[in-house]
Amino acid sequence: MSKTMSKTMSGPILKVDKVGKTFVQGVHQVEALADISFSVMAGECFAVVGESGSGKSTLANLILGIYPPTTGTISYAGEPLPAKRQLVHRRAIQLVQQNPLSALNPKRTIGASLRLALDVHGIGAPSERRDIVGGLLEEVGLPAEFASRAPAALSGGQRQRVSIARALACQSALLVLDEPTSALDVLVQARVLKLLEKLRRKHNLTYIFITHDLCVVRNIADRVAVFEKGRLIELAATETLFTRPQTPYTRALISAVPVVSEEEERLRQRLGEPQNAIG
Amino acid sequence: MTALVLEIINLNLSFARHGEQTAVLHDVCLSIARGERVALVGESGSGKSVTARIVLGLLGELASARITGEIRFEGQDLGALSPAGRHALRGTKMSMIFQDPTSSLNPAYTIGAQFHEVLRRGAPKISAKAAKERAGAMLAGISMDQPDRVLGSYPFQLSGGMNQRVMIAMALANTPSLLIADEPGTALDVTVQAQTLKLMRELVEDNGTAVLFITHNIGVVREFADRVYVLYRGRIVEKGATHAVLTDARHPYTRALLAAVPRLTGGGIADIGEETDVFAAPMFDHGPGAEARP
Amino acid sequence: MRRTLAILVGNPLSLLGLFLVGIVIFSAVFADFIAPFPEHRGAVVDFANFNQPPAWPNIFGTDLVGRDLFSRILYAYRISLVLGVVVLSIATPIGVIVGLVAGYVGGKTEYVLMRITDVFLSIPPLVLAMAIMGVLEPTLTNGMLAVTSMWWPWYARLVYNLTRSEKEEGYVLAAEVIGASRAYIIFREILPNCVPAIITKMTLDFGFVIIIASSLSFLGLGVQPPTPDLGSMVAGGASYLPDSWWLTLFPALAILIAVFGFNLIGDALREILGADQ
Repeated sequence: MSKTMSKTMSGPILKVDKVGKTFVQGVHQVEALADISFSVMAGECFAVVGESGSGKSTLANLILGIYPPTTGTISYAGEPLPAKRQLVHRRAIQLVQQNPLSALNPKRTIGASLRLALDVHGIGAPSERRDIVGGLLEEVGLPAEFASRAPAALSGGQRQRVSIARALACQSALLVLDEPTSALDVLVQARVLKLLEKLRRKHNLTYIFITHDLCVVRNIADRVAVFEKGRLIELAATETLFTRPQTPYTRALISAVPVVSEEEERLRQRLGEPQNAIG
Repeated sequence: MTALVLEIINLNLSFARHGEQTAVLHDVCLSIARGERVALVGESGSGKSVTARIVLGLLGELASARITGEIRFEGQDLGALSPAGRHALRGTKMSMIFQDPTSSLNPAYTIGAQFHEVLRRGAPKISAKAAKERAGAMLAGISMDQPDRVLGSYPFQLSGGMNQRVMIAMALANTPSLLIADEPGTALDVTVQAQTLKLMRELVEDNGTAVLFITHNIGVVREFADRVYVLYRGRIVEKGATHAVLTDARHPYTRALLAAVPRLTGGGIADIGEETDVFAAPMFDHGPGAEARP
Repeated sequence: MRRTLAILVGNPLSLLGLFLVGIVIFSAVFADFIAPFPEHRGAVVDFANFNQPPAWPNIFGTDLVGRDLFSRILYAYRISLVLGVVVLSIATPIGVIVGLVAGYVGGKTEYVLMRITDVFLSIPPLVLAMAIMGVLEPTLTNGMLAVTSMWWPWYARLVYNLTRSEKEEGYVLAAEVIGASRAYIIFREILPNCVPAIITKMTLDFGFVIIIASSLSFLGLGVQPPTPDLGSMVAGGASYLPDSWWLTLFPALAILIAVFGFNLIGDALREILGADQ
């Protein structure tokens, strides 16, 4: 395997094959994910949608190698990922988290947090890394001087931009975006989503976009996988899913979304009233 | 008796920090008629939650807060009331629902015991038996299965959605004339949130309860509110009937806010500039909407 | 920095703490210059002046062999401070490392380390120290060893709990995903977030170490005569109460001043460092 995993290719960049995850809690076994299979194509934005308990966070952790799957395999660029990830695997897949407050170490500067990725993976000569950090900050729309600031001096949206810059620092081809905008205000959300779209085009990135927000999915994803209680129940191109959802659960999800316009209301009406059962 | 349940007149709030005064609210005026559902919408830090706390009288104890202006509840000046008087209002004529239902309920007591406590605020002499009957009837009224089992349960034994329903039933148990709901259901899944909103809407309609609905979600405003006030950095920038504001937004901030919401019908992510100077434009008032009921 | 000063100056108790600790440190460092009878720190006998109540030049009175109590207290401070510094500078790193490793690594490592810690914590501190001092010779070095062995588990517990909660923070996950080593995550990411709590505890503990050391000497297990020690002075004087009250009162006051001062500073630090987070 080369030092950086190949990232120019046309086939699936990530293949999840019959993956299941069961957690053992004392005498109980909790099945968080069961028999999940799907492929993510290079350069696409693949959305993973579900409510709490759907297993979407477990899926993110499996892809990132935080813990190994109980059954099945996850392959990156055609090669199965081992249970214990090497540096080369870490570098290939990076993460943007939901909570911008906790994702940056409060005791370290923005620059130190960004530099970590460069140091670990030996990106650039040590003397150049300062400039690389500045370049990363500018790439996400922040001034390079922010490198010397503490996270506490930044707004939520700015911190989330730093998290994105950190994920870019590894020059990964695949980013797992775990609810990257759900903690942000709506104006900030729009700007961050716009930035994510721009970066994807510019660096030919692949996104696995994990969220509960269907409105965001509709506007940013190429394909959508709907998860319910640890199972993948529907997988379709975004346009298809929002016009002809196949499962009652997906219909219920879409029609439960609070909307702001008449046009959206008509779409919702067409897909039926939300179900009345309490989950 | 006046037709207005709540009237906020020129409310100003500032905090003293490190010897400086930081203004949080600027001349906020807001009124709610009997049985009317009014939304106060804004981003984090806009001052919407703090407004709710002032109305509830939960901020006055902070020594660093300076509040001026007038708040009238059913024609009565709340500023003239003693702390005990305001305490007596809370949970009886004025009640509240908060964001996270599970942490708003006390984990050490059963739902039934907490219901009894709530009912006792309205009717101090109510017996445990009568309280249980009334609570059971209320839970059954919100189509909750097995109300007796729910009353015997502790909050952590119920799902978030059930706790939210219990909270709503409790908040309306003493038939308040004003319900203050601070981002109810934001911590819940969308399907559960949609059901609780629907339930809340039905209940306040039946009881003729007025609602001050605090939220950041414009979609929820559209589903729930008759009128809306848009709050930006402690200033009301636009107000009017919900339909008018959402279909014909005039203030630059409201327009940006509406543009920034991703649509279920697609159309891409809006390009929202970093420019915020235009948001300082004066308030736009759509006038009293047809929905404003006497 | 300005805020730190504002808190210290704004709170009269913090100022008092600074003042008291200042006195203690000043006395210990400059004992040679302040003490009217520096030679009385050792085995000196002056029967002409034995057991005298406070009077000039012996402002705190004299002990049973005629030594100046004031001078002996100044030198006793020196030993107490050395003891506190040595004990904490050994116990703290041991406890901190045990707590960090157990809290972050988890699994069997956590089980073994924390059970060892629990064993130490389950023995009453004074009993443990007495057992060690009973087996070993009662010298200053062994006294420090005894106090250290009972002190580190408290740091292990504190840092273990802090690490467990820091581990759940997103920045730790981010460092893991980037591929940073365990040692890096433990010492560069998690440890800095534990430092404020550790420093606060060290300051508060300084007073307690002095008390425990004094308790050991009080029981005859600590620093041995003729070296001056506050605990042994209190113990020695206790049999002559209430007639020779100064033998007990002044050493006891000296302990009180030191412990009280360090506690006040600890409280102030808790406010200053805690608010920074």
